[in-house]
Amino acid sequence: MRTACLARVASMALMPALAGVAFGAQGNENSDGLTLPDGFSAVVVQEGQGTGRHLAVAANGDVYLAGRNGLSALRDTNGDGKADVVTPFGDVKGTEVRIFKNWLYVSDDVGVYRYPLKKGEFAPVGTRETVVSEFPKERQHSDKTFALDTKGALYVNVGAPSNSCQQKDRQEGSLGQNPCPILEKYGGVWVFDGTKLNQTPANGRRFATGMRNAVAIEWNAAQNALFAVIHGRDSLDTLFPALYNAEDNAIRQAEEFHQIVDGGDYGWPYTFFDTKLGKRVLAPEYGGDAKKEPEAGKYPDPLVAYPAHWAPNDLLFYSGKNFPAKYQDGAFIAFHGSWNRAPEPQAGYKVVFQPMKDGKPNGAYEVFADGFAGEMKDNSPRNAQYRPVGLGVGPDGSLYVSDSQKGRVWRISYGKK
Amino acid sequence: MMPSGWRIRTVLWGVNLTTAALANAQVPAHESRPPGQRLYGVHCLSCHQADGGGVPNMQPAIAGGTWVTGDARALALFVMTGGFDSASRKDSDVGNVMPPFRQLADADLAEILTYIRQKFGGGASPMTAAEVAEARRSLPASP
Repeated sequence: MRTACLARVASMALMPALAGVAFGAQGNENSDGLTLPDGFSAVVVQEGQGTGRHLAVAANGDVYLAGRNGLSALRDTNGDGKADVVTPFGDVKGTEVRIFKNWLYVSDDVGVYRYPLKKGEFAPVGTRETVVSEFPKERQHSDKTFALDTKGALYVNVGAPSNSCQQKDRQEGSLGQNPCPILEKYGGVWVFDGTKLNQTPANGRRFATGMRNAVAIEWNAAQNALFAVIHGRDSLDTLFPALYNAEDNAIRQAEEFHQIVDGGDYGWPYTFFDTKLGKRVLAPEYGGDAKKEPEAGKYPDPLVAYPAHWAPNDLLFYSGKNFPAKYQDGAFIAFHGSWNRAPEPQAGYKVVFQPMKDGKPNGAYEVFADGFAGEMKDNSPRNAQYRPVGLGVGPDGSLYVSDSQKGRVWRISYGKK
Repeated sequence: MMPSGWRIRTVLWGVNLTTAALANAQVPAHESRPPGQRLYGVHCLSCHQADGGGVPNMQPAIAGGTWVTGDARALALFVMTGGFDSASRKDSDVGNVMPPFRQLADADLAEILTYIRQKFGGGASPMTAAEVAEARRSLPASP
């Protein structure tokens, strides 16, 4: 029943979603060169903390930025939106940072930790505690992004250290391992009691599987449900050139937006959602011929199928008071931008707004903030000016966006100059 | 039950022929790029990018690196065997491991290696198909 319902929603939302909707005004002097919808403006909060990752905003407006170089606390002391005090702290280098009650939860590639965050405290000074450690150290898809529900359950994205579970990863023609042994420890979401300390992966429970890498994972408190936007697979053309060409690889394998349910299986590595055909197909490593479908009903269709390789790196459900009514309960998604579309032009590098109602898509997505990448010489992601990677909401309802190239952070507001 | 090793070999051998045939068959009539640049575009560009700069945290840059400026035979051997031996290294600053490209024909590999040595290696010496073939003979039999 649930699958049928999801499929209906997907079919309703899919076609306009694939086309996308260009929205809003060109960049102007009040947007730091970003393209934003009419009435919105952007302020540069800060730049210079290196490769930024996710961020969190406290009730008093302090911003906590995670990064490959470490954590930073940012404070605006005069209300102009720009951080006047920037204080590196802690010893955790990674992607995730979330505030839960009086704690600042952070992660690196192998664990989730927390710092006490007393009311009004800026950079935490208390001792770091370990919530979960000893995730296996991997090279691919190793960021342990997570979400916390309102009761403190901790949902950790354990990305698969593989593209498509081939016998030889990313080798032309190599078939898939079946069943895929990677799924025993990776490629899904593991749930822990986020209030308990010194856990290992063995203390967690596999909540959902078949997820290649769900960097963008978030708890929706209004719906009391977990959601994620999953990075789809790479390299259809170079691995199976008889079935797919470079253009196919650039467009066909969706970045899938799902509600993540207990016991759910979202189809990796055996399948992917093909945006060209508008349906889920068997992966070529598992008998796919570019059109053959998996067993009906075995895997849910996505709520929305976003374009291939856009790299969804953060998800946020908007409940702030600053933005117009249409944004309430909708989702913002930070797309980090592609590398595997080459030689086709790279794409993504933008923040998208997904209208939603009652936890379901409610119309086509809109490009909310664009213009991050700039000219991007040689079509190389390395030359992108900025790459959006993290999202947060301030106490005034402004949306904060972080960048992974230079650690720039923007505050995007409505109705402010 | 068929041994899985047999199955892998069959697939790889099949790909040998398929890839070579496709690479040649897919040359458009209006193609003006040198063969090495075109083949780099087919097999290498998506990871190492058009400028050889790679993708941070994903695939390394090759432009200006010791592989393309150094010994050509060593480069040929590395490209044919790939980086799988480094898969167990968990401390690498790039996520992906390069697969072997042994399935490519000697002539195609020579074109690619010559292209990347000249384009990204500051004009390092070219490589011939015979030199690739000689390097290939030093490899153990196909796994």
